[in-house]
Amino acid sequence: MSNSLTLFQHAGMYASFELRRLWQTRPGLMTLAATTVIWALLFRYAIMPAADLIASRGFIDFISGVFGNTGLQQLSQWPAPELAVYWFFSLLLLPLFSLFFTANQLCSDLERGTLRFLSLRSSRTAIVLGRFAGQMLVQACLILLTLLATLLLASWRSGGVSFDMLSATLVILLNLLIVLLPFTALMSVFSALARSAKLAVSLAIVTLGLCFALLSWFIFYFPDFLFLLGYLPGAQVFQLLPLHGWQTLQLAILPIAQAAALLVLASIFVNRRAL
Amino acid sequence: MSAIIQCNDLSKSFGRKTALQQVSFELIPGETAALIGPNGAGKTTLFSILCGYLRPDSGKVQIFGHQPGSHSLFGKVAALPQDAQFDPAFGIGEQLDFYGRLQGLSRKAARAETTRVLALVDLSEHYAHKASALSHGMRKRAAIAQAFIGAPQLILLDEPTAGLDPANALHIRQLIGRLSGEVSFMISSHNIFELEQLCNKVLYLQLGQLSSQSNSDNGTAEQQYLTLQLEQDSSDGLIAALNQLTGLISLQQLQKKELVLCYNPAQNAQFDLAVLQCLAVNGWGYRNFIKGQTLEQKLFSV
Repeated sequence: MSNSLTLFQHAGMYASFELRRLWQTRPGLMTLAATTVIWALLFRYAIMPAADLIASRGFIDFISGVFGNTGLQQLSQWPAPELAVYWFFSLLLLPLFSLFFTANQLCSDLERGTLRFLSLRSSRTAIVLGRFAGQMLVQACLILLTLLATLLLASWRSGGVSFDMLSATLVILLNLLIVLLPFTALMSVFSALARSAKLAVSLAIVTLGLCFALLSWFIFYFPDFLFLLGYLPGAQVFQLLPLHGWQTLQLAILPIAQAAALLVLASIFVNRRAL
Repeated sequence: MSAIIQCNDLSKSFGRKTALQQVSFELIPGETAALIGPNGAGKTTLFSILCGYLRPDSGKVQIFGHQPGSHSLFGKVAALPQDAQFDPAFGIGEQLDFYGRLQGLSRKAARAETTRVLALVDLSEHYAHKASALSHGMRKRAAIAQAFIGAPQLILLDEPTAGLDPANALHIRQLIGRLSGEVSFMISSHNIFELEQLCNKVLYLQLGQLSSQSNSDNGTAEQQYLTLQLEQDSSDGLIAALNQLTGLISLQQLQKKELVLCYNPAQNAQFDLAVLQCLAVNGWGYRNFIKGQTLEQKLFSV
Protein backbone atom coordinates (compact mmCIF):
# COMPACT_ATOMS: atom_id res chain seq x y z
CA MET A 1 0.00 0.00 0.00
CA SER A 2 1.39 3.40 -0.89
CA ASN A 3 2.58 5.70 1.86
CA SER A 4 0.08 8.46 1.08
CA LEU A 5 -2.84 6.05 1.04
CA THR A 6 -1.76 4.66 4.43
CA LEU A 7 -1.30 8.23 5.69
CA PHE A 8 -4.89 9.18 4.83
CA GLN A 9 -6.25 5.85 6.00
CA HIS A 10 -4.56 6.28 9.39
CA ALA A 11 -5.65 9.93 9.58
CA GLY A 12 -9.22 8.76 8.97
CA MET A 13 -8.93 6.21 11.79
CA TYR A 14 -7.65 8.84 14.19
CA ALA A 15 -10.47 11.19 13.18
CA SER A 16 -13.16 8.58 13.79
CA PHE A 17 -11.53 7.68 17.13
CA GLU A 18 -11.84 11.37 18.12
CA LEU A 19 -15.49 11.29 17.19
CA ARG A 20 -15.94 8.32 19.51
CA ARG A 21 -14.24 10.37 22.21
CA LEU A 22 -17.03 12.96 21.88
CA TRP A 23 -19.95 10.56 22.06
CA GLN A 24 -18.64 7.68 24.17
CA THR A 25 -16.31 9.09 26.80
CA ARG A 26 -16.81 11.21 29.88
CA PRO A 27 -14.61 14.12 28.68
CA GLY A 28 -16.51 14.11 25.37
CA LEU A 29 -19.87 14.17 27.11
CA MET A 30 -18.62 17.02 29.31
CA THR A 31 -17.79 18.95 26.12
CA LEU A 32 -21.30 18.28 24.86
CA ALA A 33 -22.75 19.42 28.18
CA ALA A 34 -20.68 22.64 28.14
CA THR A 35 -21.77 23.35 24.57
CA THR A 36 -25.38 22.74 25.52
CA VAL A 37 -25.21 25.17 28.42
CA ILE A 38 -23.56 27.92 26.35
CA TRP A 39 -25.98 27.50 23.47
CA ALA A 40 -28.97 27.18 25.79
CA LEU A 41 -28.14 30.65 27.10
CA LEU A 42 -27.71 31.99 23.58
CA PHE A 43 -30.98 30.39 22.53
CA ARG A 44 -32.81 31.78 25.49
CA TYR A 45 -31.51 35.31 25.33
CA ALA A 46 -30.59 35.85 21.65
CA ILE A 47 -31.94 33.34 19.17
CA MET A 48 -35.46 32.84 20.53
CA PRO A 49 -36.11 36.56 20.62
CA ALA A 50 -34.14 36.98 17.36
CA ALA A 51 -36.79 38.99 15.55
CA ASP A 52 -37.05 41.41 18.49
CA LEU A 53 -33.26 41.53 18.90
CA ILE A 54 -32.62 42.45 15.29
CA ALA A 55 -35.21 45.19 15.58
CA SER A 56 -33.80 46.46 18.88
CA ARG A 57 -32.11 49.84 18.97
CA GLY A 58 -28.93 48.56 20.66
CA PHE A 59 -28.31 45.82 18.10
CA ILE A 60 -29.04 48.18 15.15
CA ASP A 61 -26.68 50.79 16.59
CA PHE A 62 -23.95 48.18 17.09
CA ILE A 63 -24.22 46.71 13.59
CA SER A 64 -24.50 50.15 11.96
CA GLY A 65 -21.55 51.40 13.99
CA VAL A 66 -19.29 48.55 12.97
CA PHE A 67 -20.44 47.69 9.46
CA GLY A 68 -22.53 50.67 8.38
CA ASN A 69 -26.07 50.54 7.04
CA THR A 70 -25.11 47.97 4.38
CA GLY A 71 -24.23 45.47 7.12
CA LEU A 72 -27.62 45.86 8.74
CA GLN A 73 -29.38 45.45 5.42
CA GLN A 74 -27.39 42.33 4.61
CA LEU A 75 -28.13 40.79 8.03
CA SER A 76 -31.83 41.30 7.50
CA GLN A 77 -31.62 39.43 4.20
CA TRP A 78 -31.10 36.05 5.88
CA PRO A 79 -34.29 33.97 5.36
CA ALA A 80 -34.97 33.85 9.12
CA PRO A 81 -33.92 36.25 11.89
CA GLU A 82 -32.95 33.23 14.04
CA LEU A 83 -30.39 32.19 11.41
CA ALA A 84 -29.11 35.78 11.13
CA VAL A 85 -28.57 35.99 14.89
CA TYR A 86 -27.01 32.51 14.95
CA TRP A 87 -24.67 33.59 12.12
CA PHE A 88 -23.71 36.75 14.00
CA PHE A 89 -22.98 35.14 17.37
CA SER A 90 -21.39 31.95 16.09
CA LEU A 91 -18.98 33.85 13.84
CA LEU A 92 -17.81 35.90 16.81
CA LEU A 93 -17.82 33.22 19.50
CA LEU A 94 -16.89 29.92 17.84
CA PRO A 95 -13.28 30.82 16.94
CA LEU A 96 -12.67 31.61 20.60
CA PHE A 97 -14.42 28.42 21.76
CA SER A 98 -12.43 26.49 19.20
CA LEU A 99 -9.16 27.55 20.82
CA PHE A 100 -10.34 25.97 24.08
CA PHE A 101 -12.15 22.90 22.72
CA THR A 102 -9.37 21.81 20.39
CA ALA A 103 -6.39 22.62 22.61
CA ASN A 104 -5.77 19.04 23.63
CA GLN A 105 -5.12 17.51 20.22
CA LEU A 106 -1.68 16.19 21.14
CA CYS A 107 -0.36 17.57 24.43
CA SER A 108 -1.92 15.01 26.81
CA ASP A 109 -0.80 12.13 24.62
CA LEU A 110 2.69 13.60 24.37
CA GLU A 111 2.91 14.11 28.11
CA ARG A 112 1.48 10.67 28.93
CA GLY A 113 3.60 8.86 26.35
CA THR A 114 0.59 7.47 24.47
CA LEU A 115 2.09 8.84 21.25
CA ARG A 116 4.93 6.33 21.72
CA PHE A 117 2.44 3.50 21.25
CA LEU A 118 0.88 5.24 18.27
CA SER A 119 4.07 6.28 16.49
CA LEU A 120 5.13 2.62 16.24
CA ARG A 121 2.09 2.02 14.08
CA SER A 122 1.54 5.18 12.08
CA SER A 123 3.46 8.24 10.98
CA ARG A 124 3.47 11.31 13.17
CA THR A 125 2.02 13.31 10.26
CA ALA A 126 -0.96 10.91 10.18
CA ILE A 127 -1.45 11.53 13.90
CA VAL A 128 -1.42 15.33 13.42
CA LEU A 129 -3.77 15.23 10.43
CA GLY A 130 -6.05 12.68 12.06
CA ARG A 131 -6.38 14.58 15.31
CA PHE A 132 -7.02 17.80 13.39
CA ALA A 133 -9.66 16.13 11.20
CA GLY A 134 -11.17 14.57 14.32
CA GLN A 135 -11.50 17.94 16.00
CA MET A 136 -13.09 19.38 12.87
CA LEU A 137 -15.59 16.49 12.84
CA VAL A 138 -16.37 17.05 16.51
CA GLN A 139 -16.93 20.76 15.89
CA ALA A 140 -19.04 19.97 12.83
CA CYS A 141 -21.25 17.76 15.01
CA LEU A 142 -21.63 20.48 17.64
CA ILE A 143 -22.37 23.16 15.03
CA LEU A 144 -24.82 20.91 13.21
CA LEU A 145 -26.72 20.17 16.41
CA THR A 146 -27.08 23.82 17.40
CA LEU A 147 -27.82 24.83 13.82
CA LEU A 148 -30.58 22.23 13.54
CA ALA A 149 -32.03 23.51 16.81
CA THR A 150 -31.99 27.04 15.37
CA LEU A 151 -33.64 25.82 12.16
CA LEU A 152 -36.32 24.05 14.19
CA LEU A 153 -36.97 27.22 16.13
CA ALA A 154 -37.15 29.28 12.94
CA SER A 155 -39.51 26.79 11.26
CA TRP A 156 -41.71 26.63 14.36
CA ARG A 157 -42.01 30.42 14.38
CA SER A 158 -42.56 30.80 10.65
CA GLY A 159 -44.74 27.72 10.30
CA GLY A 160 -42.44 25.61 8.07
CA VAL A 161 -39.02 25.09 6.52
CA SER A 162 -38.32 26.79 3.22
CA PHE A 163 -35.63 25.92 0.68
CA ASP A 164 -33.97 29.27 1.45
CA MET A 165 -33.75 28.36 5.13
CA LEU A 166 -32.16 25.00 4.35
CA SER A 167 -29.73 26.60 1.95
CA ALA A 168 -28.84 29.27 4.52
CA THR A 169 -28.27 26.56 7.13
CA LEU A 170 -25.84 24.81 4.80
CA VAL A 171 -24.08 28.11 4.04
CA ILE A 172 -23.66 28.81 7.75
CA LEU A 173 -22.36 25.29 8.46
CA LEU A 174 -19.79 25.44 5.65
CA ASN A 175 -18.65 28.93 6.54
CA LEU A 176 -18.28 28.20 10.21
CA LEU A 177 -16.21 25.11 9.47
CA ILE A 178 -14.00 27.15 7.14
CA VAL A 179 -13.62 29.88 9.75
CA LEU A 180 -12.65 27.30 12.37
CA LEU A 181 -10.05 25.59 10.15
CA PRO A 182 -7.12 27.94 10.93
CA PHE A 183 -8.00 28.13 14.63
CA THR A 184 -8.10 24.36 14.95
CA ALA A 185 -4.87 24.07 12.96
CA LEU A 186 -3.33 26.74 15.19
CA MET A 187 -4.13 24.56 18.19
CA SER A 188 -2.52 21.59 16.39
CA VAL A 189 0.67 23.66 16.38
CA PHE A 190 0.46 24.74 20.01
CA SER A 191 -0.65 21.36 21.29
CA ALA A 192 2.50 19.94 19.70
CA LEU A 193 4.60 22.44 21.65
CA ALA A 194 2.87 22.67 25.02
CA ARG A 195 2.77 20.16 27.87
CA SER A 196 -0.89 20.82 28.69
CA ALA A 197 -4.04 22.05 27.02
CA LYS A 198 -4.13 25.09 29.32
CA LEU A 199 -0.62 26.06 28.31
CA ALA A 200 -1.47 25.51 24.65
CA VAL A 201 -4.45 27.91 24.93
CA SER A 202 -2.34 30.50 26.76
CA LEU A 203 0.41 30.24 24.15
CA ALA A 204 -2.11 30.61 21.32
CA ILE A 205 -3.78 33.68 22.85
CA VAL A 206 -0.46 35.33 23.68
CA THR A 207 0.95 34.59 20.22
CA LEU A 208 -2.13 35.89 18.42
CA GLY A 209 -2.11 39.01 20.63
CA LEU A 210 1.59 39.58 20.07
CA CYS A 211 1.26 39.12 16.31
CA PHE A 212 -1.58 41.64 16.25
CA ALA A 213 0.35 44.13 18.44
CA LEU A 214 3.58 43.82 16.44
CA LEU A 215 1.76 44.08 13.16
CA SER A 216 -0.17 47.14 14.36
CA TRP A 217 3.09 48.74 15.51
CA PHE A 218 4.69 48.00 12.13
CA ILE A 219 1.69 49.36 10.23
CA PHE A 220 1.77 52.51 12.35
CA TYR A 221 5.18 53.28 10.81
CA PHE A 222 4.53 51.71 7.41
CA PRO A 223 0.82 52.28 6.66
CA ASP A 224 1.20 50.77 3.18
CA PHE A 225 1.30 47.37 4.86
CA LEU A 226 -2.17 47.68 6.38
CA PHE A 227 -3.29 44.78 4.19
CA LEU A 228 -1.16 42.42 6.34
CA LEU A 229 -3.75 42.58 9.13
CA GLY A 230 -6.09 40.73 6.79
CA TYR A 231 -3.81 37.70 6.89
CA LEU A 232 -4.20 37.07 10.62
CA PRO A 233 -6.34 34.02 11.45
CA GLY A 234 -9.95 35.08 11.79
CA ALA A 235 -9.41 38.46 10.14
CA GLN A 236 -12.06 37.60 7.56
CA VAL A 237 -14.72 37.17 10.27
CA PHE A 238 -15.50 40.88 10.26
CA GLN A 239 -15.77 40.82 6.47
CA LEU A 240 -18.07 37.81 6.67
CA LEU A 241 -20.45 39.22 9.29
CA PRO A 242 -22.29 41.61 6.99
CA LEU A 243 -22.46 39.07 4.12
CA HIS A 244 -25.09 36.41 3.55
CA GLY A 245 -25.82 33.48 1.23
CA TRP A 246 -23.29 31.71 -0.97
CA GLN A 247 -21.33 34.92 -1.58
CA THR A 248 -19.76 34.28 1.83
CA LEU A 249 -17.63 31.48 0.33
CA GLN A 250 -15.62 34.04 -1.66
CA LEU A 251 -13.57 34.53 1.53
CA ALA A 252 -12.83 30.82 1.96
CA ILE A 253 -9.42 30.61 0.29
CA LEU A 254 -7.44 32.46 2.94
CA PRO A 255 -8.54 30.37 5.97
CA ILE A 256 -8.03 27.16 4.01
CA ALA A 257 -4.51 28.25 3.03
CA GLN A 258 -3.80 29.35 6.63
CA ALA A 259 -4.95 25.98 7.96
CA ALA A 260 -2.80 24.10 5.43
CA ALA A 261 0.28 26.17 6.35
CA LEU A 262 -0.34 25.70 10.08
CA LEU A 263 -0.80 21.94 9.67
CA VAL A 264 2.50 21.71 7.82
CA LEU A 265 4.08 23.59 10.72
CA ALA A 266 2.44 21.31 13.31
CA SER A 267 3.62 18.26 11.40
CA ILE A 268 7.19 19.61 11.30
CA PHE A 269 7.12 20.27 15.06
CA VAL A 270 5.75 16.83 15.90
CA ASN A 271 8.16 15.07 13.55
CA ARG A 272 11.14 16.89 15.00
CA ARG A 273 10.33 16.57 18.68
CA ALA A 274 11.35 13.76 20.98
CA LEU A 275 8.53 11.52 22.18
CA MET B 1 22.95 -13.15 7.64
CA SER B 2 21.62 -9.58 7.39
CA ALA B 3 21.33 -7.78 10.69
CA ILE B 4 17.96 -6.80 12.15
CA ILE B 5 19.49 -3.88 14.00
CA GLN B 6 22.62 -2.23 12.72
CA CYS B 7 23.97 0.64 14.83
CA ASN B 8 27.11 2.46 13.81
CA ASP B 9 28.78 5.11 15.98
CA LEU B 10 25.57 6.36 17.55
CA SER B 11 25.98 9.45 19.70
CA LYS B 12 23.41 11.49 21.53
CA SER B 13 23.76 14.36 23.99
CA PHE B 14 21.27 16.32 26.03
CA GLY B 15 22.88 19.71 26.51
CA ARG B 16 26.27 19.05 28.03
CA LYS B 17 25.38 15.55 29.15
CA THR B 18 26.48 12.81 26.80
CA ALA B 19 23.91 10.03 26.86
CA LEU B 20 25.44 7.85 24.13
CA GLN B 21 28.90 7.93 22.69
CA GLN B 22 29.92 6.07 19.54
CA VAL B 23 27.72 3.06 20.21
CA SER B 24 27.98 0.34 17.58
CA PHE B 25 26.42 -3.12 17.60
CA GLU B 26 24.25 -5.41 15.54
CA LEU B 27 21.48 -7.86 16.24
CA ILE B 28 20.91 -10.78 13.92
CA PRO B 29 17.62 -12.69 13.45
CA GLY B 30 16.68 -14.96 16.32
CA GLU B 31 18.97 -13.26 18.79
CA THR B 32 17.64 -12.05 22.09
CA ALA B 33 19.79 -9.24 23.32
CA ALA B 34 20.05 -7.91 26.84
CA LEU B 35 20.79 -4.26 27.36
CA ILE B 36 22.38 -3.81 30.74
CA GLY B 37 23.89 -0.87 32.50
CA PRO B 38 23.67 1.26 35.60
CA ASN B 39 21.11 4.05 35.96
CA GLY B 40 21.88 6.88 33.55
CA ALA B 41 24.02 4.64 31.33
CA GLY B 42 21.97 5.51 28.25
CA LYS B 43 19.78 2.41 27.95
CA THR B 44 16.49 4.26 27.57
CA THR B 45 18.11 6.76 25.19
CA LEU B 46 19.28 3.89 23.01
CA PHE B 47 15.82 2.32 23.18
CA SER B 48 14.21 5.63 22.26
CA ILE B 49 16.48 5.98 19.23
CA LEU B 50 15.72 2.43 18.12
CA CYS B 51 11.99 3.09 18.44
CA GLY B 52 12.29 6.36 16.52
CA TYR B 53 11.27 8.52 19.50
CA LEU B 54 14.61 10.33 19.48
CA ARG B 55 17.06 11.17 16.71
CA PRO B 56 20.76 10.53 17.26
CA ASP B 57 23.10 13.51 16.99
CA SER B 58 25.42 11.47 14.82
CA GLY B 59 25.90 7.91 13.66
CA LYS B 60 23.61 5.63 11.76
CA VAL B 61 20.94 3.21 12.86
CA GLN B 62 18.99 0.87 10.65
CA ILE B 63 16.31 -1.64 11.57
CA PHE B 64 15.52 -4.18 8.85
CA GLY B 65 17.42 -1.81 6.56
CA HIS B 66 15.21 1.19 7.35
CA GLN B 67 15.50 4.19 9.60
CA PRO B 68 13.65 3.88 12.93
CA GLY B 69 10.11 5.28 12.72
CA SER B 70 9.96 4.58 9.00
CA HIS B 71 6.69 3.56 7.40
CA SER B 72 8.15 0.17 6.45
CA LEU B 73 8.62 -0.76 10.12
CA PHE B 74 4.99 -0.24 11.21
CA GLY B 75 3.76 -3.54 12.61
CA LYS B 76 7.20 -5.10 12.14
CA VAL B 77 8.81 -3.50 15.19
CA ALA B 78 6.96 -3.43 18.50
CA ALA B 79 8.05 -1.95 21.79
CA LEU B 80 7.26 -1.57 25.43
CA PRO B 81 8.38 2.00 26.02
CA GLN B 82 9.26 3.06 29.53
CA ASP B 83 6.51 5.01 31.33
CA ALA B 84 4.13 5.18 28.34
CA GLN B 85 0.50 5.19 29.46
CA PHE B 86 -2.77 4.38 27.75
CA ASP B 87 -5.40 7.02 27.04
CA PRO B 88 -7.46 7.22 30.27
CA ALA B 89 -10.69 8.02 28.41
CA PHE B 90 -11.00 4.62 26.69
CA GLY B 91 -11.00 1.01 27.80
CA ILE B 92 -7.77 -0.95 27.39
CA GLY B 93 -9.34 -3.37 24.91
CA GLU B 94 -10.75 -0.61 22.76
CA GLN B 95 -7.30 0.95 22.47
CA LEU B 96 -5.67 -2.37 21.62
CA ASP B 97 -8.34 -2.87 18.94
CA PHE B 98 -7.43 0.53 17.55
CA TYR B 99 -3.71 -0.30 17.54
CA GLY B 100 -4.49 -3.51 15.69
CA ARG B 101 -6.46 -1.60 13.09
CA LEU B 102 -3.58 0.86 12.65
CA GLN B 103 -1.42 -2.19 11.97
CA GLY B 104 -3.71 -3.08 9.09
CA LEU B 105 -6.03 -5.61 10.72
CA SER B 106 -9.74 -5.63 9.95
CA ARG B 107 -12.13 -4.67 12.74
CA LYS B 108 -12.91 -8.33 13.43
CA ALA B 109 -9.28 -9.48 13.25
CA ALA B 110 -8.21 -6.61 15.53
CA ARG B 111 -10.78 -7.68 18.10
CA ALA B 112 -9.58 -11.29 17.93
CA GLU B 113 -5.97 -10.11 18.26
CA THR B 114 -6.87 -8.01 21.32
CA THR B 115 -8.50 -11.03 22.92
CA ARG B 116 -5.38 -13.10 22.18
CA VAL B 117 -2.83 -10.61 23.56
CA LEU B 118 -4.92 -9.83 26.65
CA ALA B 119 -5.05 -13.57 27.35
CA LEU B 120 -1.26 -13.74 26.95
CA VAL B 121 -0.84 -11.34 29.86
CA ASP B 122 -3.76 -12.72 31.85
CA LEU B 123 -5.98 -9.68 31.41
CA SER B 124 -8.85 -11.23 29.44
CA GLU B 125 -11.38 -10.03 31.98
CA HIS B 126 -10.27 -6.44 31.71
CA TYR B 127 -11.11 -5.62 28.08
CA ALA B 128 -13.54 -2.87 29.01
CA HIS B 129 -11.58 -1.47 31.95
CA LYS B 130 -9.89 1.88 31.68
CA ALA B 131 -6.23 2.18 32.58
CA SER B 132 -7.11 4.17 35.71
CA ALA B 133 -9.10 1.20 37.02
CA LEU B 134 -6.11 -1.14 36.78
CA SER B 135 -3.23 -1.58 39.19
CA HIS B 136 0.30 -0.55 38.20
CA GLY B 137 1.23 -4.15 37.41
CA MET B 138 -1.89 -4.67 35.31
CA ARG B 139 -1.21 -1.49 33.35
CA LYS B 140 2.30 -2.75 32.72
CA ARG B 141 0.95 -6.08 31.47
CA ALA B 142 -1.51 -4.27 29.21
CA ALA B 143 1.41 -2.26 27.81
CA ILE B 144 3.28 -5.52 27.22
CA ALA B 145 0.17 -6.89 25.48
CA GLN B 146 0.22 -4.04 22.94
CA ALA B 147 3.75 -5.05 21.98
CA PHE B 148 2.52 -8.50 20.95
CA ILE B 149 -0.29 -7.32 18.64
CA GLY B 150 0.04 -8.71 15.12
CA ALA B 151 3.22 -10.45 14.11
CA PRO B 152 6.15 -8.21 15.01
CA GLN B 153 9.58 -9.49 14.05
CA LEU B 154 11.45 -7.40 16.59
CA ILE B 155 10.21 -6.52 20.05
CA LEU B 156 12.03 -3.96 22.17
CA LEU B 157 11.16 -4.24 25.84
CA ASP B 158 12.29 -1.60 28.30
CA GLU B 159 12.15 -3.01 31.85
CA PRO B 160 9.38 -5.52 31.05
CA THR B 161 9.08 -7.03 34.52
CA ALA B 162 9.81 -3.98 36.68
CA GLY B 163 6.88 -3.47 39.02
CA LEU B 164 5.33 -6.89 38.35
CA ASP B 165 4.67 -9.41 41.10
CA PRO B 166 6.89 -12.54 40.97
CA ALA B 167 4.19 -14.75 39.44
CA ASN B 168 3.46 -12.33 36.63
CA ALA B 169 7.15 -11.59 36.09
CA LEU B 170 7.69 -15.32 35.65
CA HIS B 171 4.72 -15.47 33.29
CA ILE B 172 6.18 -12.67 31.14
CA ARG B 173 9.61 -14.33 31.13
CA GLN B 174 8.01 -17.60 30.02
CA LEU B 175 6.16 -15.74 27.28
CA ILE B 176 9.35 -14.12 26.00
CA GLY B 177 11.20 -17.43 26.27
CA ARG B 178 8.48 -19.18 24.26
CA LEU B 179 8.60 -16.61 21.46
CA SER B 180 12.39 -16.29 21.34
CA GLY B 181 13.68 -17.65 18.10
CA GLU B 182 10.52 -16.81 16.15
CA VAL B 183 10.85 -13.17 17.20
CA SER B 184 13.99 -11.21 18.01
CA PHE B 185 13.95 -9.41 21.31
CA MET B 186 16.00 -6.66 22.85
CA ILE B 187 15.40 -6.36 26.55
CA SER B 188 16.58 -3.70 28.92
CA SER B 189 16.50 -4.63 32.57
CA HIS B 190 18.33 -4.33 35.86
CA ASN B 191 17.44 -7.91 36.64
CA ILE B 192 20.58 -9.74 35.52
CA PHE B 193 19.24 -13.18 36.45
CA GLU B 194 16.20 -12.58 34.24
CA LEU B 195 18.36 -11.48 31.32
CA GLU B 196 20.62 -14.48 31.82
CA GLN B 197 17.63 -16.78 31.38
CA LEU B 198 16.25 -15.00 28.33
CA CYS B 199 19.12 -13.55 26.34
CA ASN B 200 21.89 -14.99 24.24
CA LYS B 201 23.63 -11.66 23.63
CA VAL B 202 24.57 -9.01 26.12
CA LEU B 203 25.22 -5.32 25.52
CA TYR B 204 26.67 -3.59 28.54
CA LEU B 205 26.34 0.18 28.49
CA GLN B 206 28.28 2.34 30.87
CA LEU B 207 28.43 6.13 30.77
CA GLY B 208 26.91 6.09 27.30
CA GLN B 209 29.50 3.73 25.89
CA LEU B 210 29.16 0.10 25.00
CA SER B 211 31.78 -1.25 27.35
CA SER B 212 31.27 -4.91 26.51
CA GLN B 213 29.38 -6.99 24.01
CA SER B 214 29.25 -10.73 24.37
CA ASN B 215 27.38 -13.79 23.25
CA SER B 216 26.34 -16.58 25.57
CA ASP B 217 29.45 -18.71 25.05
CA ASN B 218 30.97 -20.17 28.19
CA GLY B 219 34.65 -19.73 27.60
CA THR B 220 37.12 -20.98 24.99
CA ALA B 221 38.45 -24.35 23.86
CA GLU B 222 41.29 -24.04 26.37
CA GLN B 223 39.37 -22.48 29.21
CA GLN B 224 35.89 -23.33 30.48
CA TYR B 225 34.06 -22.36 33.65
CA LEU B 226 31.83 -24.08 36.17
CA THR B 227 29.97 -22.27 38.93
CA LEU B 228 29.27 -24.28 42.06
CA GLN B 229 26.86 -23.21 44.77
CA LEU B 230 27.24 -25.30 47.91
CA GLU B 231 24.75 -26.18 50.60
CA GLN B 232 27.25 -25.36 53.33
CA ASP B 233 30.16 -22.93 53.57
CA SER B 234 33.19 -24.12 51.63
CA SER B 235 35.98 -25.55 53.79
CA ASP B 236 39.71 -25.81 53.33
CA GLY B 237 39.22 -29.57 52.85
CA LEU B 238 36.80 -29.04 49.96
CA ILE B 239 39.04 -26.50 48.26
CA ALA B 240 42.04 -28.76 48.67
CA ALA B 241 40.10 -31.72 47.18
CA LEU B 242 38.92 -29.67 44.19
CA ASN B 243 42.43 -28.34 43.63
CA GLN B 244 43.57 -31.92 43.14
CA LEU B 245 41.30 -32.44 40.12
CA THR B 246 43.00 -32.92 36.77
CA GLY B 247 42.49 -30.01 34.37
CA LEU B 248 41.74 -27.35 36.99
CA ILE B 249 43.35 -24.03 36.06
CA SER B 250 42.06 -21.87 38.88
CA LEU B 251 39.50 -21.87 41.65
CA GLN B 252 37.89 -18.65 42.80
CA GLN B 253 35.76 -18.32 45.89
CA LEU B 254 33.16 -15.61 45.26
CA GLN B 255 31.15 -16.06 48.43
CA LYS B 256 31.30 -18.48 51.31
CA LYS B 257 29.07 -20.91 49.42
CA GLU B 258 29.98 -20.08 45.84
CA LEU B 259 33.00 -21.20 43.85
CA VAL B 260 34.00 -20.63 40.22
CA LEU B 261 36.20 -23.31 38.72
CA CYS B 262 38.21 -22.58 35.60
CA TYR B 263 39.46 -25.71 33.79
CA ASN B 264 41.03 -26.90 30.59
CA PRO B 265 38.66 -29.30 28.76
CA ALA B 266 41.53 -30.58 26.63
CA GLN B 267 43.12 -32.02 29.78
CA ASN B 268 39.88 -33.35 31.26
CA ALA B 269 36.82 -33.53 29.04
CA GLN B 270 34.68 -34.82 31.94
CA PHE B 271 35.78 -32.27 34.49
CA ASP B 272 32.19 -31.59 35.54
CA LEU B 273 31.65 -35.26 36.38
CA ALA B 274 34.90 -35.29 38.33
CA VAL B 275 33.66 -32.35 40.42
CA LEU B 276 30.36 -34.09 41.16
CA GLN B 277 32.15 -37.30 42.10
CA CYS B 278 34.49 -35.37 44.37
CA LEU B 279 31.50 -33.81 46.14
CA ALA B 280 29.70 -37.16 46.45
CA VAL B 281 32.72 -39.05 47.77
CA ASN B 282 33.27 -36.45 50.49
CA GLY B 283 29.59 -36.05 51.33
CA TRP B 284 29.41 -32.39 50.41
CA GLY B 285 25.99 -31.26 49.15
CA TYR B 286 25.47 -28.66 46.47
CA ARG B 287 22.55 -26.42 45.61
CA ASN B 288 23.39 -25.38 42.08
CA PHE B 289 25.94 -26.46 39.50
CA ILE B 290 26.16 -24.19 36.46
CA LYS B 291 28.15 -24.68 33.30
CA GLY B 292 29.89 -21.39 32.66
CA GLN B 293 30.01 -18.18 34.59
CA THR B 294 26.92 -16.27 35.59
CA LEU B 295 26.23 -13.10 33.62
CA GLU B 296 26.94 -11.14 36.78
CA GLN B 297 30.41 -12.71 37.02
CA LYS B 298 31.13 -12.09 33.35
CA LEU B 299 30.08 -8.46 33.44
CA PHE B 300 31.42 -7.37 36.74
CA SER B 301 34.28 -9.86 37.19
CA VAL B 302 33.42 -10.30 40.83
